[in-house]
Amino acid sequence: MQRHSLYNKFMLLTALVLSAACSNSDPGTTEEEFSGTGQGVFVLCEGNFNSGNATLSYYNPETRQVENGVFQRANDRRLGDTGQSIQLHDGVAYVAMENSGIIWALDTATFRVRGQLTTGQTEHMINPRYIHFLSSEKAYVTDLYSPYITVFNPRTMGYVGSIPTGQAEAFGYNSTEQMVAWGDRVFTNCWSYSNKILVIDTRRDEVADEIVLSSWQPKSMVLDAMGKLWVITDGGYSTEEDSFSDNIPHLYRIDAETLTIELDQTLDTDEANVQLATNPAGTVLYVINNDVYRMDITASHLPVRPFIEAPRGSNGLRHYLYGIGVNPRNGEIYVADAVDYRQSGVVYRYAEDGQLLDQFRVGITPNSFAFK
Amino acid sequence: MDEVQVTAHRRLKDTGLQKTVLDTTVLHQHIALSMSDILTQHSTLFIKSYGRATESTAEFRGTSPSHTQVVWNGMKINSHMLGTVDFSTIPAYFIDQANLLHGASSLTLTGGGLGGAVEMQTRPLFGQGYALQYIQGIGSFGTYDQFLRFTYGNDRWSTSTRLVYSTSDNDFKYTNYDKKVDVRDAEGHIVRSYHPTERNRSGYFDDIHALQDVYYRDDRGNRFGGMLWYTHSLRGLPFLSVDYRDNLDFKNEHRQDALRSVLSWERRFGRWNTAVRGGYVWQDIAYDYSTTREAVSTDITHSRSRSHQGYVQADADWMPTDRWLLSGNLSAYYNHVRSADKSPFHIGDNYNLGRTEYNLSLSAKWRPTERLSLSAVLREECYKRGSLNGQRGKADFVPVIPALFAEYAVWKSEKRTVRSEKNSPLTSQLYLKASVARNYRYPTMDDLYFKPGGNPDLRPERGITYDGGLEGTLVHKSFSLKANLSAFDSYITDWILWTPNAKGYWQPSNLKKVHNYGTEMMLTADVRLPHRWGLSLTANYAFTPSINRSEDLDDNDASYGKQLVYVPRHSANLSGRLSWRNWTLRYQWTFYSERFTTTSNEVSYITGRLRPYYMNDISVEKQFQWRKVHASLKAAVNNLFGSEYVTVLSRPMPGRNFEIFVEIKPQWQGKKMKNEREK
Repeated sequence: MQRHSLYNKFMLLTALVLSAACSNSDPGTTEEEFSGTGQGVFVLCEGNFNSGNATLSYYNPETRQVENGVFQRANDRRLGDTGQSIQLHDGVAYVAMENSGIIWALDTATFRVRGQLTTGQTEHMINPRYIHFLSSEKAYVTDLYSPYITVFNPRTMGYVGSIPTGQAEAFGYNSTEQMVAWGDRVFTNCWSYSNKILVIDTRRDEVADEIVLSSWQPKSMVLDAMGKLWVITDGGYSTEEDSFSDNIPHLYRIDAETLTIELDQTLDTDEANVQLATNPAGTVLYVINNDVYRMDITASHLPVRPFIEAPRGSNGLRHYLYGIGVNPRNGEIYVADAVDYRQSGVVYRYAEDGQLLDQFRVGITPNSFAFK
Repeated sequence: MDEVQVTAHRRLKDTGLQKTVLDTTVLHQHIALSMSDILTQHSTLFIKSYGRATESTAEFRGTSPSHTQVVWNGMKINSHMLGTVDFSTIPAYFIDQANLLHGASSLTLTGGGLGGAVEMQTRPLFGQGYALQYIQGIGSFGTYDQFLRFTYGNDRWSTSTRLVYSTSDNDFKYTNYDKKVDVRDAEGHIVRSYHPTERNRSGYFDDIHALQDVYYRDDRGNRFGGMLWYTHSLRGLPFLSVDYRDNLDFKNEHRQDALRSVLSWERRFGRWNTAVRGGYVWQDIAYDYSTTREAVSTDITHSRSRSHQGYVQADADWMPTDRWLLSGNLSAYYNHVRSADKSPFHIGDNYNLGRTEYNLSLSAKWRPTERLSLSAVLREECYKRGSLNGQRGKADFVPVIPALFAEYAVWKSEKRTVRSEKNSPLTSQLYLKASVARNYRYPTMDDLYFKPGGNPDLRPERGITYDGGLEGTLVHKSFSLKANLSAFDSYITDWILWTPNAKGYWQPSNLKKVHNYGTEMMLTADVRLPHRWGLSLTANYAFTPSINRSEDLDDNDASYGKQLVYVPRHSANLSGRLSWRNWTLRYQWTFYSERFTTTSNEVSYITGRLRPYYMNDISVEKQFQWRKVHASLKAAVNNLFGSEYVTVLSRPMPGRNFEIFVEIKPQWQGKKMKNEREK
């Protein structure tokens, strides 16, 4: 009997030994101290949709040093999913995280979170895209899905109200994208299934007018020194059997005062991630359409030859240019290369004359820049 | 004599195969397990899971989920759209035997399994009388699992009816390390910060599965079978751990209805085994992502797809002598898919198209000497799409797929019926195995026709695989040991990869070239000990480097020579089963090494790698055998140590959770049938 009991105990011990296996440890928690001195550049890296791997990089052009993942390192939390845009205002960086439904307000020196606006605080925000500051207490947020522009107070990060965009649903969508201001007007381009630019009266916070374009899906918009609105469309998409528009990007010049379309140029390439930027004086337009083109705002058409050719690999394949930013202090041009969208992207820094000054690795899919 | 012949025949059929067999003792452990759980715990396959009861796909040897071909009772069930199978929607209780065919071995079943193939079967229960089984499971997070099975089998007929109904709020709490809450004082200074505890509120599921099978056999070697499997699955899709939106404002739901049916006629006569099968699959999938706030509804994604598949197949095996086995197989599939969605990039039908697929396979297996067997397989596949834009599709022939297998018995004991003899001497077998194969996977219908993005110019993916290994068994009295060791080397070129284009939608191209190599090991030990103790152990280990050898996209591309994303280099698992009288203790340990999330394997990147995954599950079961009823009571603890983990970025998994199962098996007929069997 005694022997049986010992034997049984031994078998139980065997069972316990079997169960002794290691478990996953907790992730460490640390918050790094930063002092982002200098007139640095924030690079927002979009990450992969539904992966939550967007990051923020900080580059100092003087020292040519780059710090990657500064949001996570300073705040011990993730930036979120699909970083859409970054804007600086009154020494604070505002980052719209589209598929996380949050806008972060960050200290531009310590990168610490100062506040946040989440969809739950608002009535209609869904996927925030771009932010436009009207004053230190009033800002607009555009949205990929919501038929409203959200108004918030950037100082308190409190919700103020919503502006119905009032556009007829196109296939169930009504998106608003980038914003530029001219007097009491804010223009916003409607990208998803739309061919419109909305004109918002900022005194009354309502849509006052609209501009209808001949081409679909206006993607990017800037205002030049002459009060002209430059808009580039991606032309929708088109396949053999089925199409939504014709796939051909157009470049428009529109008078911000009279809302008349003064120039409509058809671009010759499709499938391009079209983006616009201007030099600090607003007298030169930069266009990404596979390569980077440079155009005087008084010119009547985009030059045929690119100003900066997208770098080409040894196999002749062109790098994917994904974003452009111009430093308002010195006119230096920053161009983002997404590589394969699944690894750290590369940023190229060019002088105003197109000479390559530096290049550095950032996060996944760099798409926008903000200059301190 | 008959017995020996059947055994010899089976071995010849399995010449050189790297095959893992999962039987009912593994598959029917408990009703809450899906095939994805079973494969995670009992094989070297890597299961990529987006959460509890959410999409889970299986990868052999560091390939992709679409390189795993899945066959149910002879019929391929991979999605025509995606090429994958979601193993989380297959209850393990519906499968009576699963064979995992690794690498080249998959070519004995089907083409296109560049990683391998999973063959799932239901089995008849002739002569076993009536049996009724009901299992009720109640678990954490509002989980209820119900299972009912009724079987009847006499000498001619066998029928089984199985029903599984699983429902769960799945509303588990987890510490969200991806978020941090700052508590501020009146001046706005941070007083303290903490990682919040959040809830997986939108991950509910409600799954119904029903399976009916009927078999009939006669005295002339005919067997007829019919199977019908219906699934209705409604699942909420959990929010990302980095989503700050209130999940109560959003509906993010995946709904799937599927009906799969197979009719079969098998006939054995003389030295022939023949079979004719036909089948039909209907599948309806809906995905809705929308929000309603302040009385304003907005659709974000609204996607629908409906597919029909018809299938016919004829097989013949002929053994002209004991040394030769010749087989032929011809099958045809017709798939029709209507896929439509509404997203910021597309509206209307993605495509509405039919495609016909023909497969022919011929094989010869030969045993020139008692110890050596050789086998050759040739396959041909042809695809032809329906009319598109008024243009008829042309027949597209995939190049001939050849495979060669060899097996050599280094050591073989002569006694085959050793298991039935109680005090037999030690017996052992050791086989050397090798194979080489070329394989092709034809692009899926989404790859070719999806709008926008689909690329009609895609070529089939090409693979070449070399396999070698050892398989040994050792049986001594009440102890048995089985070990399998294999090494493989495989190259896949023209690997189809979807990448985002500049407009924001994704497009496939024949981009990648991948070198997969490594080893797979399996060890099973069974021992019956005195005083009704029993111990069995199964261990699996795989080393699967899966290296990108594609040409660099450009000078900045650092992905050459790097491990593919989300593919672990090492995976291992260990299952232990200890029994004493009516008690059974099961222990399950699963391990995956770190996985990279970037193609360049950057370790400095904050989310660049997922930490190694260790999982421990335990269960204790007590069986009761009363005269009128057999019953069992089981308690299971999953994630015993409460590991906080993800297998995919930003997709939190549940912590420690519990489930209790009560099983009831009435025995009103059992005794009579048992007596009959004993006669």
